[in-house]
Amino acid sequence: MSCGNHHATPCTEVLSLVYVYIDNECDEVTSIDVTTHLEECGPCAEIVRVERVIKARVKSSCECTEAPETLRTSIVTSIRATYYRSE
Amino acid sequence: MTTCTRESGCPAVEWPGAVPLSLGAEESVGSTLMSEVASTEEQAEDRTARFERDALPYLDQLYGAAMRMTKNPTDAEDLVQETFVKAFAAFDSYTDGTNLKAWLFRILTNTYINSYRKKQREPYQSSADELLDWQLAEAESHTSTGLRSAEMEALDRLADADIVEAMAALPEEFRLAVYLADVEGFPYKEIAEIMETPVGTVMSRLHRGRKLLRDSLADYAVERGYVPAASVSGGEES
Repeated sequence: MSCGNHHATPCTEVLSLVYVYIDNECDEVTSIDVTTHLEECGPCAEIVRVERVIKARVKSSCECTEAPETLRTSIVTSIRATYYRSE
Repeated sequence: MTTCTRESGCPAVEWPGAVPLSLGAEESVGSTLMSEVASTEEQAEDRTARFERDALPYLDQLYGAAMRMTKNPTDAEDLVQETFVKAFAAFDSYTDGTNLKAWLFRILTNTYINSYRKKQREPYQSSADELLDWQLAEAESHTSTGLRSAEMEALDRLADADIVEAMAALPEEFRLAVYLADVEGFPYKEIAEIMETPVGTVMSRLHRGRKLLRDSLADYAVERGYVPAASVSGGEES
């Protein structure tokens, strides 16, 4: 997919870098190239925006799981039992 | 064994003979006078306290990941329990100052794949990396049809439960890669170590997992009536 306009970094290349870009895994130069492209190219910027939102939604909806207190107690018990056995 | 109360948060100092964590046990006891036996005891005690202080705080995070792996609380608890027991047994091999969180996640993942997962008698692997072509083709076609603003609006309206459900429906290896990257924020290199795969495989799993995830979120949005079918799922052709 391309917006049809000329860019220093073509849309196809930017689109192949969307995930490494939003994950901050690009090297610095590539990251600057992509950022520059996104400032010029609406369609690519929109794609990156959607991917960022999905990434953030995945984090916020999946991260708040508190372990049951009984599990914590049970783990501590196992660890200390191991310690006393080893004495 | 002392019973832990919720209020106390099971501090490591409750058990008999514990070294207060702030003491800096080794330096404070006059190590030149200690017998070898006493020294060994001290180390074992200290190791237990250190494990509880450093590793136990990752309990909630490991449990969260275990929930996404096993998809039910009972199995998640068993998995996390086994993970901590293994981690404690191997704690000597953990090098202080290196990434403890990644080390624990690696044990969790390993335990899940190698022992726990086998008990479920479900086929592992292959499903993800050899995902059916049509599924991928479908995911690709959705991304190529555009209409981002409709997607964005739909995303805002989707409930957390929809996202959780869409994640749960992903093939296992994709789900885990996305979870480790997006929820836990691990860099690719660490995900590769945790999942024991090359970085390229991690990138491929993330790529395919996210495309599928986005595809199913678009489907949810249509099902819920947040967007008309034509505007999300490549409706121009249908």
